[in-house]
Amino acid sequence: MEDKEKVPTIAQSGTTRRAFLKGAVAATGGAVAIASVASTAPRAAKAEEASPMSRYLFAERQNCTGCRACEYACSTYHEGTVRPAASRVHVLRHKGIVDVPVICWHCDDAPCIEACPVTPKAIKKDKETNGIILDEKTCLGARCLQCVDACPAQYLRTHPDTCMPLFCDLCGGDPQCVKACLAQSGNPQGPCLLGSKVGFGVNQAYRDVTPEEAGEDLVKRFYYPNNDGGRR
Amino acid sequence: MAAPKGGYFGKVLEIDLSKQTTNVRELNDEVARKYLGGSGLGAYYLASEYKAGKDPLDEDAFILIAPGPLNGTYCVSTRTSFINKSPYTGLLSHAEVGAHLGNEIKWAGWDGIYIKGRSAKPVWLYIQDDEVQFLDAARIWGKDTYETEEAFKKEVDNSYARTAVIGPAAENGVPYSAVIVERFRAAARTGTGMVMGNKKLKGIAVSGTKAVPVVDNAKFLPAAMEVKDFAVQREAWAGIKRWGTGGLLELKHWITGSLITKNFQTTWWPEIYNLGGEEANRSFWQRHVACNHCPVHCMKYGVVRNGKYKGLIAEGPEYETGGLLGSNLGMTDFGSMMALIEAADAYGFDAISLGGSLAFATECIEKGVLSASDLDGINLKWGDGDAYLEMIKKIAHQEGKAGKLLGKGVAAMSKEIGKGSEAWAVTTKGKEIAAHDPRGDKARGYSYAMGTCGGDHHEGSSPGGLVLLALFNSLVMCSFVGLTHTKEIPASHVAMLNPLCGWNMTGDELMAVPKRILTLERCFQVREGISSKDDVLAKRFTSEKLPEGPKKGAIWTDEDQKKMHESVYGFLGWDDKGVPTEKALEGYGLDFMIDDVKEARKQYNL
Repeated sequence: MEDKEKVPTIAQSGTTRRAFLKGAVAATGGAVAIASVASTAPRAAKAEEASPMSRYLFAERQNCTGCRACEYACSTYHEGTVRPAASRVHVLRHKGIVDVPVICWHCDDAPCIEACPVTPKAIKKDKETNGIILDEKTCLGARCLQCVDACPAQYLRTHPDTCMPLFCDLCGGDPQCVKACLAQSGNPQGPCLLGSKVGFGVNQAYRDVTPEEAGEDLVKRFYYPNNDGGRR
Repeated sequence: MAAPKGGYFGKVLEIDLSKQTTNVRELNDEVARKYLGGSGLGAYYLASEYKAGKDPLDEDAFILIAPGPLNGTYCVSTRTSFINKSPYTGLLSHAEVGAHLGNEIKWAGWDGIYIKGRSAKPVWLYIQDDEVQFLDAARIWGKDTYETEEAFKKEVDNSYARTAVIGPAAENGVPYSAVIVERFRAAARTGTGMVMGNKKLKGIAVSGTKAVPVVDNAKFLPAAMEVKDFAVQREAWAGIKRWGTGGLLELKHWITGSLITKNFQTTWWPEIYNLGGEEANRSFWQRHVACNHCPVHCMKYGVVRNGKYKGLIAEGPEYETGGLLGSNLGMTDFGSMMALIEAADAYGFDAISLGGSLAFATECIEKGVLSASDLDGINLKWGDGDAYLEMIKKIAHQEGKAGKLLGKGVAAMSKEIGKGSEAWAVTTKGKEIAAHDPRGDKARGYSYAMGTCGGDHHEGSSPGGLVLLALFNSLVMCSFVGLTHTKEIPASHVAMLNPLCGWNMTGDELMAVPKRILTLERCFQVREGISSKDDVLAKRFTSEKLPEGPKKGAIWTDEDQKKMHESVYGFLGWDDKGVPTEKALEGYGLDFMIDDVKEARKQYNL
């Protein structure tokens, strides 16, 4: 498997049956496995390339494996430590069978900013990065939270310590969650989170659903003819 | 007795179900450094709190649900340990399970959950950070694991909570029942489900908002990222990523000759091409699913698209479930096999012991020592999925003669049936073995015979492997990811643990930990009467040659046995009876077990 690009595409990441069997033969039996695994040197990590400025996030929901690497990366970047409760991206496991990435879509109409009652608005969009920035000095915090109610994707959560709403600032144009999602490479379905300079033209029907509704949609999509994800 | 600086909260949540009270147990740095967490911490609690012969179903018997120091941190692929004295085998047992539960326990601010006592009526626990609620489970008692999980989440209106629940099998006291974590992951092989059912505890749900304290984040993060990069890049697991462990089914049939078939009669089962990874890939799999922060995503979820079980959602086949409930039952139809696997999860069974028991009963019928009339008219035949499914329901609800008989497990069944059925009762230390035939794959013999709990596939396949797996089970880390950087162990783990916990551990000190844990676990088993005579494989493997397949004629010989005993006992400092010597115990810092071991030596003539 050559690394032609950092982004694994479906075609590239397909480990062939033959390669799998070859690897697996070597990996049967503990002692043998240890010896053979240890003898293969790791591939040199590819040098980081400067990523383009991202102005929007997009979640290809059916590609999510539910590993939550995005939550780990997000909270590590924003909080300095792993704390999914304070992450700006969440993964909901719905009915135990589908995983729904819950992200900020950076809507052009931004219902959260519209709902903000203070003047001037405590929530702003950064002109350069398109990230949502909260002014914690003017935000009313737990007394208000109208933005949380306004979010059409029910994405917004509050910080467990400060009760301030948590907004996605796109990490200053280089979203860590997108990088983390890519790094879980070898995912034959490809990455789930994507970032882009231009808007994805998010179809509002795709955006304006609660995480649970999105989960139901995924259940139908994956598990046809079982439409409710229950037992048969 | 200082409190731990990082990696741990220094607190274990103690729950008394009898009084419905909670208590905080201190976990000091010294214990953490000696036993790490997970199975190590469980072994420490069990060995120091239980006396020999303790009834595992006593009111004050406990279950410890323990994550390790790395859970909830940036480290990849951490798991959860369930530790208790098994009511099935009467021995110390630990089960490791994937999914997200262990991390959530850490984020709720606990290094473990210690559950004792017995509730008067069905109850379930909701743990939200420091707050513990005892909730009524009367309405969900008797429901399957999927419905239970959904009911929990709905009742507390928290769809992000992580759960561990039991099904009807555990409620009705089947000794090989499991705890099911997040619908399809099972903490099995330990009888934990039965203990929970005995305590009238339907399950727990955990939700946390804290962060694990890290002493030196600047050093810890790069070390953890390095381990992650290693796991991401390692091509050795590319096959597991793509095909799951189900892809090994065909491989073990035609290359290694260790695919168990028809209750271990043979390892040659060409029908496996209709059951294994290739068939699943063609007609079943829909999603790859990962445990927390894991780049390997070995789980595959899918739906049966046609036939009788159309619309059935299940996970797998994994190697163990596909082996035990597929080829070991002589199955030929993929949908029927998936229905059995799904039923095992939904009713809360240990799929390995369940498959072993069904296969044993089928062979009893085949050999004429048992008849359908003994089994409420259910005629078990190789490959008859409907009969097996009916039987699973009967076992789960302990209905009729059949349900009660098969619910005892292979060892007790063969005692009850007699008539020479011991010859095909495949157990080690009273427990069914997993899906690798040790005649074809001799390294697995180590795991089955020498592992702490007996019959487990997850205990390491060489003396060094036993130690490595004991390390992963105490950290608690997945061995798939763990083994990818075997060459760097212990350096890579020391590099993570030292900045995380504020220790100055050397590699030698870290590698002494799993040896200490194995020896402590062994002391516990020795107190219960285990010695080298029990570290053996079933009679079938020593008396019947493999009749066909790539390893035709292979047999487990006395030399294999001798070599295995000598290498493991010597490596861990145990004597030739398999009992840890006094010198070894002192060396490991396990002085508190010396008297117990002395007494056991006297009692059992060792």
